Amino acid sequence: MNNTILELKNISYKYKNNLILNKVNLKINSGEKIALLGKSGSGKTTLISVLNGTIKPTQGEVKLFNKSFDELDRKQKRKITTIWQDLRLIEDLSAEQNVNCGLLAENNFYFAIKNLLNICSFNKAHKYMQLCRLHNSIYDKKIRKLSGGQKQRVAIARSLIQGAHILLADEPFNNLDPKLITTIKNLLLENVDKNNTKKSPKTTLVSLHRLDFLNDFDKVIGIRDGKIFFNIKRTNLKQLHLDKIY
Amino acid sequence: MNNLKLNYTSLSFLPILVSIPLGYQLLTNIHFGGFELFEEFLISAFNPKINNEIIITVINRLNETILISFLSWLVSIIFGAILGILSSKIFYKIFNIPNFFYSIIKGFLTIIRSIHEVVWGILLMQIYGINFSIGIIAICIPYIAVNSKVFAEQLENIEHKSFESINQINAPKFSSLLTLIWNPIITTFKNFGIYQLECSIRSTVILGLFGIGGIGTSIFLSFQTLNFRELWTYLWSLAIFIIVSGSIFKKIKFNKINKILSIFFIAVFFITILFSFSYFLYYIFNNNFENFNYFSSLFKSSSDLGLLYFLKLILETIILSLLSTGIAISLPPLLIGIFNNNTSKILIKIFAFLLRLIPTPVILLTLLTFNNPSLSLAALTLGLHNAGITSKLLFTNLDSQDKKKYIAMKSLGISKKTSWLLGLFSQQAKSYLAYCAYRSDIIIRETAIVGVIGSVGLGWQLRESLSSFAWQEVILVLIAYSSIAIVGELINGKIKNSLT
Ligand SMILES: Nc1ncnc2c1ncn2[C@@H]1O[C@H](COP(=O)(O)OP(=O)(O)OP(=O)(O)O)[C@@H](O)[C@H]1O
Ligand SMILES: [Mg+2]
Repeated sequence: MNNTILELKNISYKYKNNLILNKVNLKINSGEKIALLGKSGSGKTTLISVLNGTIKPTQGEVKLFNKSFDELDRKQKRKITTIWQDLRLIEDLSAEQNVNCGLLAENNFYFAIKNLLNICSFNKAHKYMQLCRLHNSIYDKKIRKLSGGQKQRVAIARSLIQGAHILLADEPFNNLDPKLITTIKNLLLENVDKNNTKKSPKTTLVSLHRLDFLNDFDKVIGIRDGKIFFNIKRTNLKQLHLDKIY
Repeated sequence: MNNLKLNYTSLSFLPILVSIPLGYQLLTNIHFGGFELFEEFLISAFNPKINNEIIITVINRLNETILISFLSWLVSIIFGAILGILSSKIFYKIFNIPNFFYSIIKGFLTIIRSIHEVVWGILLMQIYGINFSIGIIAICIPYIAVNSKVFAEQLENIEHKSFESINQINAPKFSSLLTLIWNPIITTFKNFGIYQLECSIRSTVILGLFGIGGIGTSIFLSFQTLNFRELWTYLWSLAIFIIVSGSIFKKIKFNKINKILSIFFIAVFFITILFSFSYFLYYIFNNNFENFNYFSSLFKSSSDLGLLYFLKLILETIILSLLSTGIAISLPPLLIGIFNNNTSKILIKIFAFLLRLIPTPVILLTLLTFNNPSLSLAALTLGLHNAGITSKLLFTNLDSQDKKKYIAMKSLGISKKTSWLLGLFSQQAKSYLAYCAYRSDIIIRETAIVGVIGSVGLGWQLRESLSSFAWQEVILVLIAYSSIAIVGELINGKIKNSLT
């Protein structure tokens, strides 16, 4: 079971003389559910951006399936999906069009055109939006007209629809009410939904501030000032660990 | 309040000082030979010729104008969008192409843009002869470059983060590109493309004056034969056409696009591209092989232009631009401010509309009826025409502005003019000046049109050199033109940045 799919080797990231990530080593194994903890500004978002290849580290190596990002083809890169903290949706497109953007990778250019012209099928998008408890009245609304929590769930739906193996979720529970948080948490972490079909990626790394959720994870990573302070099994987590990073 | 402070408001009025040298030169050049003609010209405005024959001519000529302007608009908007994408950073980010190509395309488009469509038209007519499609090509060349700049500017607003998130989906690159640029492109098309159609109509009319065909040619011929009543029939029908087409286009809503309509648009898009390319190839390979001799004669011909004379032409062109810009900036606020009542406002609006409507060469020719050709006369023409355009903007902005401050000042007993100046105009001055900076880019290019007719500056020299097939001189003049326009654009860009 211990097959590493995503690995950071001695990663440092410098931005204008500030060391934002400091010699980070990290292995993510297939099927793991990882919680990423850390104060605001500790480097969680930066770490996630390095993990998905958006930020090129100043030093060190990122390996996905044992290859660096440059060696991977598009199909392999697609195995990672990200729910961004700042969502990064396309504001002028409708909610369903944004969710369909998650399908761009597995479809051709023609699909992109049809999506923009609003003449493609949105069935799959709607299915995922329903899973995220999005009401069908917002399907064709522009993102800029949605509430914070609605936008958050559109971003989640866009990510899940990609059917990736690895999900990197950066504070995905922002803007959600308690009931929705539970729903979304189950959606992100459970491999199987009630119809016994797999909806969420096998491997998940979630950055979060909710310590009461840790029971749902296998592993906990604590980061502070760009350095990993601990990377342990959840069952081994002590208050002492948390004191170190908060 | 006693000493003059340099703020945006005073800067909007100061340029009117150009009217001192301008007025002086105009007064010394006045002649009374043509006053009757001028009078006749004015009176004919109220008494245009209307009969069956002329109505049929109007319809035929308008059809030509519509065809030329619509086709050139369509081609230039589509290729403008494509080149706009190719000259935007987002394209290079997605495809990972070195920025070197970005600079090359941008530079190339800047040069193309710096030369006015009339100059392209005259040039192409000299090479290929008068031809219907020359009009389309002449308009398309600078318009594509202008449009591409506008599209590219909008595309630069796409956030890097949106790019990153789409990039992370790892979709085919064209899908990512299209998804990112879709909305900026559509919005630009809606906001700017429609307005460009009107510009395209005006350009067609002006090129018509130079013989391309359409209503412009009729206007020119009737002017030449001093058939003023006929002339006004053409001008008024053009006015009606511009107003009607403008209001029709305002009504069209692109929001409710359905399947059939989108397929139609896509079809138009690809057919236009296909046609343009095949026409281009046809032109190069089939049409005018023998005319390539002209290009070889470029190396045989010599230039008789002395350096000093050439510098004088350049200076004249620069002065011409400055004087016209001065008028275009200051005349509208001055008139609106001084004659600040409803009747005058309507009169100014009508006058401004006429100045926009009547092509600059016709304005110039009219003024020539009682004034000898001079630099000032050309500047006045260009200035008045552009004042017609800046005043339209000023009126629109003033009308939509909150009038609270103005009303409050008036109720305090402050005079109407002062309240208008400090309560209304002062808030518009900055954005008005920014628009004028943009307008002066266009004025520099338009000096070519009045130059050709009014015997000043590089425009005149261009015509002379062309008619004597002195291709080296032509190239020299074009380079000079282009340099002035590009330097002007750079300076105006700086001014605009400091104003916004
Ligand atoms: N684009 C940027 N430019 C400059 N500094 C940045 C940038 N992005 C992040 N930083 C800095 O890097 C550090 C880590 O930021 P990061 O966003 O990774 O923190 P975070 O743990 O995600 O915080 P939060 O919980 O508030 O989202 C911070 O000190 C931040 O100021
Ligand atoms: Mg963060």
